[in-house]
Amino acid sequence: MSAVLQNIINQPYKHGFVTDIESDVMAKGLDENTIRMISSKKNEPAWLLDFRLKCYAAWLKMEEPTWANVHHPKIDYQAISYYAAPKKKAKLKSMDEVDPELLRTFEKLGVPLHERMALAGVAVDVIFDSVSVTTTYKARLAEAGVIFCSMSEAVHEHPELVQKYLGTVVPTGDNFYAALNSAVFTDGSFCYIPKGVKCPMDLSTYFRINTEESGQFERTLIIAEEGASVTYLEGCTAPAFSSNQLHAAVVELVALDNAEIKYSTVQNWYAGDENGIGGIYNFVTKRGLCKGVNSRISWTQVETGAAITWKYPSVVLLGDNSVGEFYSVAVTNNYQQADTGTKMIHIGKNTRSTIVSKGISAGHSNNSYRGLVKISPTAEGARNYSQCDSMLIGEHSGAHTFPYMQVRNKSAKVEHEASTSKIGEDQMFYFAQRGIDAEAAVSMIINGFCKDVFQQLPLEFAVEATNLLSYKLEGSVG
Amino acid sequence: MSVAVTHQTQPANGYLATLLAGHLSAPSPTSHKGTMRGQCIAPPVLTALQVAAAERVSALNVPSTRDEEWRFTDISLLTKLSFQPVVAESTLQLADIARFTIAEAGARLVFVDGVYAPHLSHTEQAEGVTVANLAHPLEKSAAHTDVRIATYLGQLAEYKNNVFAALNTACMSDAALILLARDTAVRQPIHLLFIASKQGGVSYPRCLIRAEAGSKATVVEDYVSLQDEAYFTNTVSEFSLADNAHVHHVRVQREGMNAFHIANCAVTLARGSHYQSVSVAMGARISRYNLNVLQAAEGGECTVDGLALISERQLADTHTCIDHAKPHGISRQLHKCIIGGSAHAVFNGKVMVRPGAQRVDSQQTNRNLLLTNRAQVDTKPQLEIFADDVKCTHGATVSQLDGEEIFYLQSRGLTDVVARNLLTYAFGAEILERIPVASLKHQLEQTVLEQAGLKQSGLEQMK
Repeated sequence: MSAVLQNIINQPYKHGFVTDIESDVMAKGLDENTIRMISSKKNEPAWLLDFRLKCYAAWLKMEEPTWANVHHPKIDYQAISYYAAPKKKAKLKSMDEVDPELLRTFEKLGVPLHERMALAGVAVDVIFDSVSVTTTYKARLAEAGVIFCSMSEAVHEHPELVQKYLGTVVPTGDNFYAALNSAVFTDGSFCYIPKGVKCPMDLSTYFRINTEESGQFERTLIIAEEGASVTYLEGCTAPAFSSNQLHAAVVELVALDNAEIKYSTVQNWYAGDENGIGGIYNFVTKRGLCKGVNSRISWTQVETGAAITWKYPSVVLLGDNSVGEFYSVAVTNNYQQADTGTKMIHIGKNTRSTIVSKGISAGHSNNSYRGLVKISPTAEGARNYSQCDSMLIGEHSGAHTFPYMQVRNKSAKVEHEASTSKIGEDQMFYFAQRGIDAEAAVSMIINGFCKDVFQQLPLEFAVEATNLLSYKLEGSVG
Repeated sequence: MSVAVTHQTQPANGYLATLLAGHLSAPSPTSHKGTMRGQCIAPPVLTALQVAAAERVSALNVPSTRDEEWRFTDISLLTKLSFQPVVAESTLQLADIARFTIAEAGARLVFVDGVYAPHLSHTEQAEGVTVANLAHPLEKSAAHTDVRIATYLGQLAEYKNNVFAALNTACMSDAALILLARDTAVRQPIHLLFIASKQGGVSYPRCLIRAEAGSKATVVEDYVSLQDEAYFTNTVSEFSLADNAHVHHVRVQREGMNAFHIANCAVTLARGSHYQSVSVAMGARISRYNLNVLQAAEGGECTVDGLALISERQLADTHTCIDHAKPHGISRQLHKCIIGGSAHAVFNGKVMVRPGAQRVDSQQTNRNLLLTNRAQVDTKPQLEIFADDVKCTHGATVSQLDGEEIFYLQSRGLTDVVARNLLTYAFGAEILERIPVASLKHQLEQTVLEQAGLKQSGLEQMK
């Protein structure tokens, strides 16, 4: 098995990327010098190098977690190249040159035409000037005082902010993959919403058009000052092909008094073929800190891709009356494995959290919900409601639920419910009776099943997510 | 249970540490002389089993909170104390244990500190029913009985990776034995009473119940104490139900408040059999109950209910696993915890549906009531499903008493304290009502009333 993995790791990037534009790829392997080299190549200040080295030292002492309900051959961390200068995509001249498979997917998802081009890497100057649009967006954001840029830019332009918040939500030695990310992250996004500002646009839209290959160790930091609010969408509904085997990203959110952050993810990484060969290992640490009173952090995720997903977007509810939310749809098919869920840590008084998780497993896949609701002795009047439902399609798939509830305060009210079911024959019969074929019926039933989560997505993504689900499960029923 | 953890911090004089350091000698037939009087039913089988278990004991470690299965239950206190097995026969008289007896019960087996007390017991050797202790020679002991015992004893309760089950299997000197022949129904409940009387004692109670096809019985497994000092009870029970057998299992753990109680119970269900259990945990400083139900054939049914009523510094841990290995199984579970003082309740309820076990219908509910701010609860209802045509649900709640309900009762003239106690009692009574033995149910209800403070408040009379 590890030979297979080696192959996958060593594979050159096949999908429209060329490396000879800038062949600035660091040799494989990881040691202190690699980190110093990354830092010097990015011309980073000394404090950031110290941060990286501290994380690396912590990582060396850590063991790879094995508690998750996923199985994979051991990852060789010395067989990965930890730095590649931003690659430039070779622009295709027209849509005719794009992989027809990709076009077919776009068609099915209903992605707008200009976005299809941008996503497929076609030069879009004539029809749709992404550069000028970017500039317009940037101007509008700047006017509102919002800082939205890449992490490397932020390190140079706003070092005081980065230094103040980086690593405060996900500490240095938090977990194996987060420590690795902290040591070697190359880029990512940085977002700062100043006091009292409501971000004039969903950062999602902006981000999607400018989908960049920011590498396998992404780092995102979003800070919402007092009374600020922002909606952020990460990822993209189109299939993202990548030769990278391991993706270990870290996302940190900080919400101060009365601030609100809504973070949505639609993830459709390459999931491997129908025999489970290849695909991305998506080992991500996402955590939000409701630092101020009345703050609110909401995670919405639609996880459909990746061979293995290991991801627990969490909220630490520190401020009194703060609110944490987690809405998730995780779909696995073929040989995919997903171990995902959330952690809600109630510390402040009257903190509230809601968890809605929907898991769908088809084929030979395994889908696990793993969640923690922790009520500290200080969390007077805390309230949690969790619901996790699983749906099984086919008799070879598996659904698992591991909810942990730790309550240390009697005034807390914690509720958890879970169910596992399949698409009922009577439901199918009802649809057939009304002249709706099996495929469409299944699609409708599944969308009904996931409705609570899709409602949390921005409208256009909700539509795409709906299509994405039917696309992912195509042929797995009947 | 992981074996990778090492325990350097244990003092060498701890009882478990001594045992696990390899001082547990494999039992030889002569070592049984003290306790197993007369002729042993199947010494070679028992000896082989005990040697195998002793080997496992020396290979395994005491679990710590670093092991997932013991994450919330810290038993380091237990490992630090030293305990002595009791070998002397008890001098207790019937009057001493009168308050623990059950009026409805037919047969009664009494074990004092793990040693069988024939003068307190009432065995039964009726047509088709055997209720006796394993070591005691039975009048009509037939060769096929020996074979049956060997088939089930130590075969249902997994001891290979469970240090406490291994310890019990290696150290047991006797066992309570219930054998039900085909199509026999025992109307009166069978009472298995385990009494702890010695401070610092350790006992290894063991029960084996084999219900042949179509048989029916009610078994009360009862752990009580005559003193309040520290002692250690490590028990294993095995239930084997043949086709269409029906066993009602009532388990009452009312050990002393400084006791350590670690129990493993394994149940195997054949086609169409029905296992119904109510377990009540009230005593012990630290208690742990592992219940594993295996639905080994189609159409098995189990109802597994539980109540933990704890206060002060008690810790009650219940781990259940319902394993649906075959199709058309049904399981129902309601587990409740009432936690006062600075007590700590742990619940881990696993429901597993194996590949191919279609049409399984499973429901699990866990409700926890926190009475004080120092009370703690850790709960983890867990589903592992590998078949698509199933109906599985679980739910868990944690809360305090509802303000509106208290207000309602106050508006009817009850004081705040009485209203609270009444609601607490009602919360627990839902489980106690499921006990099919009236006098035992009444006894336990009294205990809950006492604990809830309702007796002083005069509500008892009102009721």
